[in-house]
Amino acid sequence: MSGVLSLKPSYYEALKRLTLELAGVHLGDDHAFLVETRLGVLARQEGYQNLNQMVDDLFGQGHTRLAIKVVSSLLERDTHFNPDPDGLKVIESFILPALHKASAGQVVKILSFACSSGQEPFSLAIIVEKFRQSHPDFNASILGVDYPSPALSRAQDGRYTHFEVQRGLPIRDLISYFDRSGEDWIVKPTLKSMVNFKEFHLLSKLDGLGEFDLVLFRNSLAYYSSPAQIRVIRSLSSIVKPERYLMFGSKENLPSSSYNFDKVEGYKNILIKHPKPIVPEVEPELPKPPPKEYVPDSVKAKPA
Amino acid sequence: MKTCLVVDNSKMIRRVAGRILTEMKFNAEEAENGLEALNYCRGKMPEAILLDWNMPVMDGLTFVKTLRQEPGGNAPVILFCTSERDVIKITEALSAGVDEYIMKPFDSDILASKFHQVGLMG
Repeated sequence: MSGVLSLKPSYYEALKRLTLELAGVHLGDDHAFLVETRLGVLARQEGYQNLNQMVDDLFGQGHTRLAIKVVSSLLERDTHFNPDPDGLKVIESFILPALHKASAGQVVKILSFACSSGQEPFSLAIIVEKFRQSHPDFNASILGVDYPSPALSRAQDGRYTHFEVQRGLPIRDLISYFDRSGEDWIVKPTLKSMVNFKEFHLLSKLDGLGEFDLVLFRNSLAYYSSPAQIRVIRSLSSIVKPERYLMFGSKENLPSSSYNFDKVEGYKNILIKHPKPIVPEVEPELPKPPPKEYVPDSVKAKPA
Repeated sequence: MKTCLVVDNSKMIRRVAGRILTEMKFNAEEAENGLEALNYCRGKMPEAILLDWNMPVMDGLTFVKTLRQEPGGNAPVILFCTSERDVIKITEALSAGVDEYIMKPFDSDILASKFHQVGLMG
């Protein structure tokens, strides 16, 4: 590690282990600078004199709340509006029409898993709003979940800086779906009412979130350790409705095992959940095999 | 290599934008105001124009309206790059024939993102 960094090397290793254990994510060796800057800010916010004092307290006292804050600030990603434009085009041209057809007037539920500062859920909401112009009977609700962090709080406010709204967001979308507020831009109420956010430990049981027609989990898989990848996809499988979609990033390699999903032909980053298994209401009565008669060995026919 | 004409009366902005554009593999040319830009375009239409609004001699909006009437004047992709942030002003620029709009201050990330959106890259 470079001499300009103040954190003790043993602490850096311990933080890497903590991130792997708590979130299943590998921090690379090149993350040292990120650890310093991110945690330096957190230490100040939490009222510590410096970074080492906070980390001393973290490992000395084993505060769970602090551990989650530390890990979430280390995992906070710099996100853009319209991340993965190719993927969004597929949602627009293939997934929304399919869900519209299948939903028959029901509210379509979409989950943005690991939503960070909220640009993905709001970009989705813009696509849904545009789709609704030609399909007025289509209704959707979008939920964004991620670890508790300042990024998620900003998502909940729907407030973005001058710089953030210019990364990935076309100007026509900015003036149609945002209001100016001083130096910042705020998501308009019509769009905001479609989107909710929830603090969530991404490796915990997902059952409480409900079931979804589309789950987006994009460009994060590669950071997870192999056991965590299996764990997270298995849990995601439990919250996707039968015959509905799980979508990864356009350039991601999908896991080879199926976890109750099939690949969607023509779209390498989309999986479709198996149909609901047909379970008969009453267990069929199987014909019982006739009881075997006990034949003592001595009576058994002996070879001639 | 595609050419982008940077039209701004600030020498510093022309230099900064020119440097970012060169990194983005564009050939960056410069003009100090709308009239100079119009004369450049009458000689050879660039693929892209990065355009300031408020400039002496001829402002950006007048330039767009004039260029779009000229033969071949619909070809260049025009990105306004200005400190005007008023929604009414932005709408006025879009209806005059501007393709995208960048609000100053900007950085290389924003410029690249906007160039991607209008299909000038990749």
